[in-house]
Parts: sequence; C-alpha cells; structure tokens
Amino acid sequence: MSQETMPLVADTVTKHDEPAWMIDKRRAAMDQMPTLKMPRVQRFDYRYWQMMPSTEIHWQSSSASLAQSDLDTTTAKADDQQISIVQVGQTTTQVKLPAELGQQGVLVMDLFDAMREYPELVKPHLMTNVIKTNETKLTSYHMAMLTSGIFVYVPRGVAVNQPIEAHIIQDSTKTDHPLISHVLIVAEAGSEFAFTQHLSTVGEAANIANCFVEIDAAEDSRVRFSSLDAFGPKTVTYFERRGLAANHANIDWAVGLLNDGNTIGNIDTNLLGEGAETDSKMIAITDGTARMGINNGVTNRGKHSVGNILQRGVLLGRSQLVFNGIGDIIHGASGAKAEQENRLLMMSNEARGNANPILLIDENDVLAGHAASVGQVDQQQLYYLMSRGIDRQQAQRLVIRGFLGVVLSAIPAKTVRQELITTIERKLTDEN
Amino acid sequence: MSTLEVKDLHVEVQDGESGAVKEILKGVNLSMSTGEIHAIMGPNGTGKSTLSETIMGQSAYHVTQGDILLDGNSILDMPVDERARRGLFLAMQYPAEIPGVTNAEFLRAAINARRPKDDQISVMSFLKELDKNLDLLDMNEAMPERYLNEGFSGGEKKRNEILQLLMIKPAFALLDEIDSGLDIDALQVVAKGVNSMRGDNFGALIITHYQRLLNYIKPDVVHVMMGGRIVKTGGADLALKLEDEGYAGLRDEFGLDVDLVDEN
Repeated sequence: MSQETMPLVADTVTKHDEPAWMIDKRRAAMDQMPTLKMPRVQRFDYRYWQMMPSTEIHWQSSSASLAQSDLDTTTAKADDQQISIVQVGQTTTQVKLPAELGQQGVLVMDLFDAMREYPELVKPHLMTNVIKTNETKLTSYHMAMLTSGIFVYVPRGVAVNQPIEAHIIQDSTKTDHPLISHVLIVAEAGSEFAFTQHLSTVGEAANIANCFVEIDAAEDSRVRFSSLDAFGPKTVTYFERRGLAANHANIDWAVGLLNDGNTIGNIDTNLLGEGAETDSKMIAITDGTARMGINNGVTNRGKHSVGNILQRGVLLGRSQLVFNGIGDIIHGASGAKAEQENRLLMMSNEARGNANPILLIDENDVLAGHAASVGQVDQQQLYYLMSRGIDRQQAQRLVIRGFLGVVLSAIPAKTVRQELITTIERKLTDEN
Repeated sequence: MSTLEVKDLHVEVQDGESGAVKEILKGVNLSMSTGEIHAIMGPNGTGKSTLSETIMGQSAYHVTQGDILLDGNSILDMPVDERARRGLFLAMQYPAEIPGVTNAEFLRAAINARRPKDDQISVMSFLKELDKNLDLLDMNEAMPERYLNEGFSGGEKKRNEILQLLMIKPAFALLDEIDSGLDIDALQVVAKGVNSMRGDNFGALIITHYQRLLNYIKPDVVHVMMGGRIVKTGGADLALKLEDEGYAGLRDEFGLDVDLVDEN
C-alpha cells in the first residue's frame, strides 16, 4: 500500500459527500495499514489470496432489477409489517420499515445516509468499540475502502417483533467492483430484535467481498442474528462478525456458510458484561475446490458470562474446511461458562478438514468444555436407510441432514431454516 | 405370489480386528412363498443373523457359493436399496439412530422410493395410514415427529421396525430377533403387527432363539439352524419340541457334529 494513493482516496470520498470525521477515519485507517498484519486463521494458509485488490474507491450505482431474482426466491410475500432493506453493490434499492417502528425511533437504513442524518448515533459505534480499525491490515483496509453498509438502531426498551431482513447482493456484473460492506447494529438497553441477512452474488466477474458486522448490545438487550451466506464461485470472501455484549445482554448467531468460493472469516462475541450470553451456531458446506477457514470465538470477560459454540461442517469434492473454535476466558471472569462443539463430516476422500478447539483459560472458577470430531458418513446409517428402499444419494442426503440437524433445528427463524435446508439440498444434489 | 429361495448359500465374513476370514454359512437351503410364515430357530452364533443380513445385502457378508433368488431371479448383484424396492424388508436387531431426520419424513421417503416420481403418496393418505398403524401398535402420536430411533428405548425401536413393516408392506419380511429385550406386552403388540400383515401377498422369516414369540405368531414352517446349516425342517410342533429338549438334545438325536457356543 503506497502513500501516493492517499490523496486519491480523500478526493473520491469528498465527492461522496461524507462527513469530515468519516474522511478522517478513512485516512487514519489508510495510514496505519502498512504497519499491520493480515488476520490469522489457525491451520489455514491463504497468503496467496488477493484480499486487497485496489486502493481506489469507485462509486458506482447498481440497478435494482439485479435484486429481483434473489428476492423472488427468498422473501415471503410482502406484508405491511415487513422490515427489510435491499442493497445491490453500493446501492440501497429498497427500505421497508413500518411507520410505527419509525415513530418509536427504530432505524433501518443505508449506512452512509445514517452518517449524514444521525452522526451522533453512528460515529460512536462505527469501528470503535466492537471492531477496531487497527486490528489487522484487513480491518483498516475495510475502513479505508468502505463503500456500502446498513445501519440498524433499536432504541432503549423497544422490542421489534418481526425480523429485520437484509438482502446484500454483490454486483459482479461489473469487474473491479469489490463489495466492501458494513452492517452496524446498535441495540440500546433492554431492546430486543432479530436481524437476518442474505448474502448472494449476481454476475460472473471475479471480485472480493469484505463484509463486516458489528453488534453493539447494551445491557439487557437481546439480539438474534442470522445469516445465509451464498456468494458465488468467483467471490473471495473475508468476513468479520463481532458482538460486544454488556451486562446481561444476549447475542445469538445462527450462520449458514454456503459460499461457493474461497472464504475466511471470524465470528467472535466479547462477553464484556456480567451475565452476558452468546449462543453461536454455524453450518458450513464446502464443495468443488473451495477452501474455507473460519474462526468462531467467544471471549468471556464478565463474571457469570456464558458462551456456547456449536458448529457442523460438511465437505464435498476436493474442498477444504477448517473450523477453529476459540474460547478465551479472561482473568476475573469468575463463574463463566464456555462450551464448544465442532464437528466435520467428510463426504469425499479428497477433501481436507480440521476441527480445532482452542481454549485459553486464565481463571480458575469456570466451567469449560469442548468436543471436536472429523468423520465419515456412518455406514450403518446408510445401510439402514437403504434397506428401506431409499437410494444411496438420498440416503446420504438424509444422513447429512441429520448431521446438520442439531444446528438446523436450533435456528430460530423458520424461513431462514427452510431456506438453508433448500440451499443445502441444492448443493448436495449438484454434487451428485 | 412371490418366492424367495436360498440355494446352497456359503457366506464368509472378515473379522474387523484380526482380519481373519471365517465361513459362517456352510450351504443353507431354504424356500418360501408369500402366504407363509417361516421361523428359523437355532443357538447363538449359528449364522441366523448372517443369513438375514446376507439376504438383505449387507456388504460385510461375502457370498462365496450358492445363490439367493427372488421370484426366480438372482439378487446377489443388486444393491441393498434395490432388493428393498423389489420386496425385501429386514427388521433389524440393532436399528441405526439417525438424528435430524424425523420418523415421518423417513417413512414417506421409503414409501415414495417404491413409487414412480409422478405418483408419490399424498400427505393425506400417508397420514391416514400412519395413524391407523400407530393405533394398531399402540404407539405414541408424537413418534412420527421424533428423530429416527434417536433415544428410543429397546422396545420403542422394535415397535418402530414393525411400524415401518406395516407402512412399507414388503412381500417378504425378515424379522431378526424382533422379540429380544421385549416384555410380554410389547411382544404381543409386535406380534399383532406382524399378524395383521398375514395374507396371500406377505411372507415372513422369523429369526428367534426362543419359542416364546411363536406362541403369538404361529409359523407354518420351522427350520432349525446349527453350525451354518439348516439341520431340520418341520411344522410348528418342532419349535415346542426344541423348547423341551434344547438344541443339544436335537443335536444328539441327529448325531450332528456341531459345537454349541453356549455349551460348556
């Protein structure tokens, strides 16, 4: 990253009518980038991946019509209670928020609009508490190059009954068009809501996706986050999904990682407050020659904080999947609980998988446990199903479904669960 | 009418640990038709389960000689699922547990596997049939929504095997030690299920080492198996005789050169 590119960045963002603090933040991020290291994914080598293709920001708009096929297949019939936001590339093409929620102060909007209209809400939260720009080269790259985003704000004590649905569609009808996206979720004290995101790609160009989610959960709030990741085969993805939970706050993650392309990612919840809790569930399926390296972590700082990680991965073809479950219990977090279970199912002899529990415990008064396994399809199960006339392919699909079932059945949103099952079935059918 | 014939069947298995190959079946002959209930009795370790698993097509069992014919056609080259679709059913001694797949979903998949793609069973007729059979077997209504065999007690698993039998309606059912571990009430329920299938289009081969089950499911033919062969075939009274005299008595009466596993 050379210093010469700096003025260019500043110039392009000035034209985008961004507040001065945001431009300063970008500039600081750009300045510190050369001194930082790439993020680490244990037992996974991605050093030859191009994760920072450009240091020039190109503002381009995308057509709403690109979202259509995605929305037709994934959203239920629109009703007037629906809360949703759709983004194609850098363009927000649709926002739906019932008026009564607007009156209560709930915000679901484009992040850049929010910077201009609600700087007092955005500025203190954007890459300050939850993810910091100076963590790695890629976090600073993200800040410097950010070109799309969603802001969700739920005020103190407000419970939103419908899930907030976001569709983020990468526009790969264009070349040299990275998706650098940021979902900022601010849950004020005592608020409660669910946020669901659907990630997909239109077009055939090879582009990166650099997607961050920050959840800042104030005391006694409850945020249920789910995500269905289904970027295309030519997309190289890096994601950060991080939560910060204050006293008795609760952040739950339910993630289905079904990207067709190479992916690295990090999910982590910082249980800062006393009695803060997180439940992190993830399913990943890799196929073809795709490689995926994922860290899923919980940091227990608060006394009596509780973190659970439950992950299942299925490997097809010649793919690679690495699950690192990272449990970090900080000194002073007495009474903390940390449990994790990481299991991989190998459907092919040519696939490579690792499930690594990593426990870092610096406190005596804790309960911590882990389980990990890498295994093949149970032949007894296959034989049993086939002895009832079910053919091998379908029997395999049922066994895989069963393997994923413990996570699937724990996903709260029925529509997400169904969509996940449909996508999984499609991937398994394609494979055969 | 369907027929199932086992001709001079020799079967080997390889020991998982030592790798040693052992011949278990040493020339089994058996012939049955739909409309008949056969029972195979015999001491432990004599090859009864090997016979049923080999007929079903479990890949661990290698046929070295002889043949198995369904309606006159050899099934030895058919995979397990095809044998099932052609009318064979094995109620297993140790059914697998499959979490994440509900009983109902599994049963529908099994029924539909036998039907053409454009004639799959309707939800209504499936549920009607299911309710009828749950009722017959005195099974809990929550059973269909539970995951397949997961956390089932021994008795629940056995009933679930019979439920599948009633739903799938095969031509031939092989019932492998379906009575083991059942109390008398459960045994009666299982027998009721099998008896409800009796008719011209159904045949069963009941494997057991106690005569008890045969009080409830009356066999037309009883075979006694020892040392990897069928050594005696007779009517229902043969089972009673065995109960009285034991396998050792029968062996001595016929002068058979067979080691009994449980004999000291």
